[in-house]
Amino acid sequence: MAPIKLAIIGSGPSAFYVASRLLSLLPSTSPQASRLKIHMYDRLWAPHGLVRYGVAPDHPEVKNCTHKFDSAAEDPRLRFFGNINIGTPSVIPHTLPLSLSTLMSHYTHLLFSTGCTVPILHSALPPSTYCVPALSLVHWYTQHPSSPPPPPLERLSHITLIGQGNVSLDIARMLLTPSSELAKYDVPAPVLAVLERSAIQHVSIVGRRGPRQAAFTTKELREMMNLSDASLVPLDPALLKAPADGAESLTRQQSRVLQLLQKGSRNKPGTTRKTWSLDFFRSPTGLILPDPSLSQQATLTLAHTTLDSSSRAVSTGETSTLSTSLVVTSLGHRADPSAAWYDPALGHLRTVGGRVIDAAGRTMRNVYASGWAATGARGVLASTMMDAYAVADVILRDAFPGEDIQTVPVVGVDSIDEKALAEDVLPKEVDVDSIPPEVEAGLRDGRVTDYEGWRAINAEEVRRGEAMGKERERMGWQEVEAFLQSRDNSLTLSYWEYAAGLFDLIK
Amino acid sequence: MSSILKARSALAIVRCDVIMRQRRVLLCHGELSGSPRLQMRPLHFGYTSNAFHSSAVASHGSITRPEPGTGIKLHFKDSKGSPLKTVEVNEGDDILSIAHEHDIDLEGACEGSVACSTCHVILSPEHYDLLPEPEDDENDMLDMAFGLTDTSRLGCQVKITRELDEMSVTLPSATRNMFVDGKKPTHH
Repeated sequence: MAPIKLAIIGSGPSAFYVASRLLSLLPSTSPQASRLKIHMYDRLWAPHGLVRYGVAPDHPEVKNCTHKFDSAAEDPRLRFFGNINIGTPSVIPHTLPLSLSTLMSHYTHLLFSTGCTVPILHSALPPSTYCVPALSLVHWYTQHPSSPPPPPLERLSHITLIGQGNVSLDIARMLLTPSSELAKYDVPAPVLAVLERSAIQHVSIVGRRGPRQAAFTTKELREMMNLSDASLVPLDPALLKAPADGAESLTRQQSRVLQLLQKGSRNKPGTTRKTWSLDFFRSPTGLILPDPSLSQQATLTLAHTTLDSSSRAVSTGETSTLSTSLVVTSLGHRADPSAAWYDPALGHLRTVGGRVIDAAGRTMRNVYASGWAATGARGVLASTMMDAYAVADVILRDAFPGEDIQTVPVVGVDSIDEKALAEDVLPKEVDVDSIPPEVEAGLRDGRVTDYEGWRAINAEEVRRGEAMGKERERMGWQEVEAFLQSRDNSLTLSYWEYAAGLFDLIK
Repeated sequence: MSSILKARSALAIVRCDVIMRQRRVLLCHGELSGSPRLQMRPLHFGYTSNAFHSSAVASHGSITRPEPGTGIKLHFKDSKGSPLKTVEVNEGDDILSIAHEHDIDLEGACEGSVACSTCHVILSPEHYDLLPEPEDDENDMLDMAFGLTDTSRLGCQVKITRELDEMSVTLPSATRNMFVDGKKPTHH
């Protein structure tokens, strides 16, 4: 059997679900087991992608999925290399660069699980001091290694979120929950300090369509309704009417969202210090920045909208303005446009059935993509898992054309048409254990992290958190480097003392 | 001098022996994979030897199996309705733990904390009706489940009782549009 030496770029849930699936489908006791090797690369020094750097701190249960990732990483056929940036320009100064072509020369198979890391901006709202993408706030409160600056919350009274998905609600919830309630979660101490000084009184959440089109889900909406120190500005009842008979029926999700909105927030308006609002049928047309010597508030101009017959937002001609301290755009994400096989029309990599396709429509042999890199930034953990398992099936089906591998019931993926293949970009034979020499060197000088190092860092973050009565206290890269270095030193010291002791006994 | 060295090395051996023993204990639980320098190889869970065996998360079995003939019978079925396995379980066990105990391919990403929908199952209607209504948090997660039906529940929230004897538990089908771009409006 030809080896499957797979490089996975990315180490988030999609990467780990593909890896764990491949490892369990070729269990270590099976005859083919030793021909499978998986090397996982991440541009961040910590693995797990969005689970660590996207999931809101007050949703710790979602992060239980990492236990399965830890189990997968115990298989010696899986290795992890962190702090390595492959191909695209790096957003983090301390990463080790590695070209895609160098990587590819060492592997027979390649999987992109690189996600969608670039925020979609609003054409009418260019980035400025008064307008930032939601990603910069999420990266701030998760202490992402790109280290965005904290928002100046002590000077802000009003924040406007553009977009009505779960990321918007996460940010609103983080800003409206008393910091004392957040203290026990995985909120880094410097972030908590900024939240404690926050002067935010109101969060507006703006969307260009109505409640039935909002992208947020019931759980996150319910959490907003139950905020202990904030209330929802009542909605216009006309917005919450159930559709007339004969109109398209509501999904279960839509009905439950409407019910929640009809009921209103647990705290009634006027009873709380802070408030939030859902501003439906409003689309930004511009942001007028203030003269700082006169005011701290910018002016957001909004077009009023309604739905056309295809449920798309169209302007009614009416406009209004909103005075706000900061606009945060939360409009989804796309893959890095400089990534190999990125399709600008899709906003992610071009694939069919998990296999990467070039611009001419030809299949790249043994090159795959999974998760948001392949589907765009949509879907929760469950859909990511199902997609990953389907891609793992395709990888094995392509590697073992004679076997009928169907562990995930998916239709519509045929075997590769050999005539429709592009030239190979990956070698057929490689040394199954080798890693690029740059990575080898990086491991030696402590610039590249591995999973064993991550386990130690993870334990240390939890230990530090326990001392502070919280889930964990995160470390930054400098602290991590120093921690791993001193740990290596003490292990080496023990080793040498042990050796010296043995030598002493022998002589 | 040599006595000091002997004492120091003896201490070093004792300390290193403790470290080695600690590492060995940790290895048994699969926590450490050994530093590159020390080149220790980890122990890991055993798997069955079938060529392509899809195994659920290896668990150390937090539930016990009843004596054959005394337990409550559950019939697990695949997404097409074909029988997978009939198992006997105890009262109070939840479907997710049962599936893991019996190597049924049901995931539980959030490990039973109602923060995902990966343990979504479809129950036989007559048994579904016997269960108490799902709480809000379970319903919120079910909103996002693939292939949701009128008799869907989260496996981690269904506790078995005697009256559920002979219940069918069917694994849902993945969406047919798995690889189709952009058609299905989903959430994130």
